Amino acid sequence: MERPELKQALGRLLGPSEPEIGCDECFAELDRYVELELAGADADAAVPGLREHLAGCAACREEHESLRALVGGEQAL
Amino acid sequence: MDAAASVQSSPTLDPESREWLRSLRAGGREHDGAVLRLHELLLRAARFECARRRPTLPHLRGNDLDDIANQAADDALVSVLRRLDTFRGASRFTTWAYKFALLEAAVKLRKRAWQGREVPLEPETWGLFTSAGIEPDASVEQSELLGTLQQAIADVLTPHQRRVLVALALNGVPIDVLAERLDTTRGALYKTLHDARRKLRGHLEELGLSLETLEAS
Repeated sequence: MERPELKQALGRLLGPSEPEIGCDECFAELDRYVELELAGADADAAVPGLREHLAGCAACREEHESLRALVGGEQAL
Repeated sequence: MDAAASVQSSPTLDPESREWLRSLRAGGREHDGAVLRLHELLLRAARFECARRRPTLPHLRGNDLDDIANQAADDALVSVLRRLDTFRGASRFTTWAYKFALLEAAVKLRKRAWQGREVPLEPETWGLFTSAGIEPDASVEQSELLGTLQQAIADVLTPHQRRVLVALALNGVPIDVLAERLDTTRGALYKTLHDARRKLRGHLEELGLSLETLEAS
């Protein structure tokens, strides 16, 4: 049976399986990563481990979403 | 660092970013005007963050949110000016500056949302099913596997790792709130969480279990 809530809870508990960077490095690279994403470039290849960190860290994930929405919104104007 | 590496790590600045740096490093009225414009930019980002989070903060009034946005912009301004020489031009200056305002606003809003609330840390009180949003109608296999997971958390983690994992991953305590309560930093707490998760994964693998087998049960 498909149990998305179980999968989410296990994901929160066990975190990403692939290597990830930490919060400080994530913050240092976030602006470059977001601009690469918005430009359609391969941001994950440019900053290995950041995508995995976003999967494991709720706070950095929220800040990534906000920066992407803010910069993406401005670009769309 | 050789010349080639230096060029590679210092991409050419776009004209707008170069102008921001030039005016912020200028003296007198030009500097003051640039600082004022930077504060406006940071305030816009901080208000953007407050507006995004407003639905999750029904107890906060518009004035409260505007105070938080202003405080976030003030603090971000100090951070940006202090770190001006570390801006590498890897993004536009405005994107780089925005992230400081968004961070300051997000941290303040998380802390405000948890102001006066107890931070649940005690491993003895957690229930994997209820805390993690897993309904108690799990199959026998799932219940057994989750029991194994619960036992592993109790057995292989240090008390500090257990507290951090339970608070962050099960009880949904924001990492900045926990960092403040435990008098540490977000980076240090995430390192503890990361180590706890790795230990847990390793232990489950020794038992022949993995996230995939747990999900598939």
